[in-house]
Amino acid sequence: MSLKKFLPIAAAASMLLAACQPAAAPATAVPATAKPAAPAATAVPAATTAAPAATAVPATAVPATKPAAGPNPPKTVADVDAIKLSKDNPTTVLFWHRYTGATYSSVIEIVNDFNTKNPYGITVKLENAGASYDDVFNKVNGAIAANAALPDLVIAYQNQAATYRDLGKAIDLKPFLDSKTYGLTADDLKDYYQSFLDSDKAPQFPGEVLGFPTQRSMDSLYVNLDMLKAAGYSAPPKTLKEFEEMACKATDKAKEQYGFIWRGDASNFASFVFANGGQILKSDASAYDFNSAAGVEALSMLQRLFKNGCAVELPSSERNGDQTRFANGKLLFVTSSQAGLPFYADAVAKGAKVKWTITRFPQADNAKPATNLFGASWSVLKTTPEKELAAWLFMKFFGEKDNTTKFSNISGYFPVRQSAAAGVVAATKADKRFTDYPEAAAGFQSLFTDAMPYGKIEAPIAGYDPVRALINDMVVAVAVKGQGDPKAALDAAVTKANQILKENAPKNK
Amino acid sequence: MASIIPAATTKRPTLSKKTREALLAYGMLSPALLALIFFTLIPVLIGFMISLASFRVIFREWVGFDNYANALAPDSDMWSSLGATITYSFISVPVQLGLALLLAMVLYQKLRGRAIFRVVMFLPYITSTVASAAVWARLFSPDAGLINAIIKSLGGTPLKWLLEDKGIFTLIGQAAGIPLPSWLTGPSLAMVAVIIYTTWVFVGYDTTIFLGGLGNIPNEMYEAAKIDGAGNWQLFKNITWPLLSPTTFFLSLVTIIGTFKAFNHIWVMTQGRNGTNTAAILTYRQMYEFQRAGYASALAFLLFTVILGITIFQQWYGSRRVNY
Repeated sequence: MSLKKFLPIAAAASMLLAACQPAAAPATAVPATAKPAAPAATAVPAATTAAPAATAVPATAVPATKPAAGPNPPKTVADVDAIKLSKDNPTTVLFWHRYTGATYSSVIEIVNDFNTKNPYGITVKLENAGASYDDVFNKVNGAIAANAALPDLVIAYQNQAATYRDLGKAIDLKPFLDSKTYGLTADDLKDYYQSFLDSDKAPQFPGEVLGFPTQRSMDSLYVNLDMLKAAGYSAPPKTLKEFEEMACKATDKAKEQYGFIWRGDASNFASFVFANGGQILKSDASAYDFNSAAGVEALSMLQRLFKNGCAVELPSSERNGDQTRFANGKLLFVTSSQAGLPFYADAVAKGAKVKWTITRFPQADNAKPATNLFGASWSVLKTTPEKELAAWLFMKFFGEKDNTTKFSNISGYFPVRQSAAAGVVAATKADKRFTDYPEAAAGFQSLFTDAMPYGKIEAPIAGYDPVRALINDMVVAVAVKGQGDPKAALDAAVTKANQILKENAPKNK
Repeated sequence: MASIIPAATTKRPTLSKKTREALLAYGMLSPALLALIFFTLIPVLIGFMISLASFRVIFREWVGFDNYANALAPDSDMWSSLGATITYSFISVPVQLGLALLLAMVLYQKLRGRAIFRVVMFLPYITSTVASAAVWARLFSPDAGLINAIIKSLGGTPLKWLLEDKGIFTLIGQAAGIPLPSWLTGPSLAMVAVIIYTTWVFVGYDTTIFLGGLGNIPNEMYEAAKIDGAGNWQLFKNITWPLLSPTTFFLSLVTIIGTFKAFNHIWVMTQGRNGTNTAAILTYRQMYEFQRAGYASALAFLLFTVILGITIFQQWYGSRRVNY
């Protein structure tokens, strides 16, 4: 083995040891409980391509399907259409995720359903790969560095998927989406929220789609209606100006009540930049752009909030402190993902039982709204064309109306189809947690029309994570601590961010 | 009749006693030696090779000593993080050891319940660092923390603790209305909070070691000195302190190395913010946040060099001052 090959393997092994990662949880086998009607047997052409790469399917996995003759990964719709799956040659898909609790249960339910109903002999196996998205990312990177077994399907943010793609692991899903045999129909495409589908397009790899949206959420405004009323207002803010004014008027330091809280999340800053009409990254991904006039206004407003004593910083050690303080009636506004809605409902019910709601992020110009769309996607890693297709078929199944409704009702994420919206809203309104807080359920409903169509994504490129840390450090220094001029700080941060962008420029286009 | 073969012709050649002893010794050493080679020396060697490469998840290219040059550049973050590390070490080590010595002296007396005191003091050391650091971070919370609640109940002004990057002397100066120059700012309040936690964790361990050292000082020496009319201070200065020097030397050595390597509690309490971005935190962030394995490895080797330098200096200094 050459030194060049040995080095990364050995290094990854030592890094993994050093990281003291817990042992991987055993794969959850989800056996089929009933046999669906077998499809007509299809001939699988003899393999002429190279042997498939090692996969992460455990030793107990069912025999692998014979590899197809086409390219791996498939490059065209025809390549995808040529792949044949059958129950005679079952395929296993290993999925690394991070779901827990009730959300995990809902995923298991859908997986069971898929394993039972799919006519292709596909069995999906779930494996929890960490408590956070970063855990999953580090685990996948460790496996790539060590040339170890990878999953067939992995949960990943768009910037993480771009990293996997640069490493030659994540595959382009466009041929699968467009496939005549296995892809989405015209009706499907009309039904999916377009902004959700667009968010997986990778600007560093033009024309490619590196993930599929099974869940999405949006930075939204949680509002304590009791505090708002006490401050003399009858409705949540529509504009950033109103937001700032209300935040300051509702602040009462003696009672430790504040208008706004900064919790060290760069996405919050991005939301303010979007709301001011700006962007984090240029659309062609050539450079970062948050030092625009919109960025300056966003940072200046945050600086004013702190300078005037209307905002408070959340210590990093206070986990979910924004939610807890809101639930205890200590915060007028929290900007956070709408996926937290069920958790806020539970927290308020256990806390001060304040009247509250959720609404669209306030805007500088409501004629041109822009909201921050987030949520991880699922990405398919390069294995064999059959496994790649099997992973795609599972994702497609997961996104079907009934399944996305079921998943959304439990997890709090938006459904990915417009046809599922009514069902999710109805279920939220019927949820007993919202019986006493109808304003919150109504606010959630309003997001579908007021916020969802205007979603923008931050920076779906490799190397965005360190830029996020950079942004947070800048906001803390300039806004929270009042050190320095916003424009100068933004220019310096963008210069550093562009260096990181250059450093992470894909080598493997 | 079978002939009897003389024993001398079948006798196997024997190894000398010295060789057999050497073989036995190497045989006994080999498990630990192999473990050391495979789990320490080889990873260190690989780490050094990574430090000579651009390594972002996978090997990209050899860059020679570029990572070291970047780390040592005048505008590098390494200098400020090294400064934070030295501040953390040079304040927390004397505070820890001084307090531990004082406590050891007290607990060495025949007090009622001293066994219980010793156990209670040792508990923080055996408690999970991450768990206890999380609890202390909560205690230091500006709005929801117990420490500020006590300060407020006493009529004081609450502090920002882990969120405060201003120096402790600057804050004292502000409270007293005396503006101080920037070079006199002192460690950040966040760093002071981290040092308070570090002292709480390690003082029990240090006290226990000091108690062992005190137990090794022959009582006759104290009795003889008392007969000669020595007072308590003279007993401490001329007997306890010199004869405790091997213990003090050992503790200062391991404590300084420990403070230079400290990571867990600093990460839990501040994530390296507000003047607590020590070299270990910087290395971790470069490795996992920035995915710069080559640069992070170079930082780790530079930190190793600093620790090695300090340890060699301590050994040299100790050999002149320690009374065995």
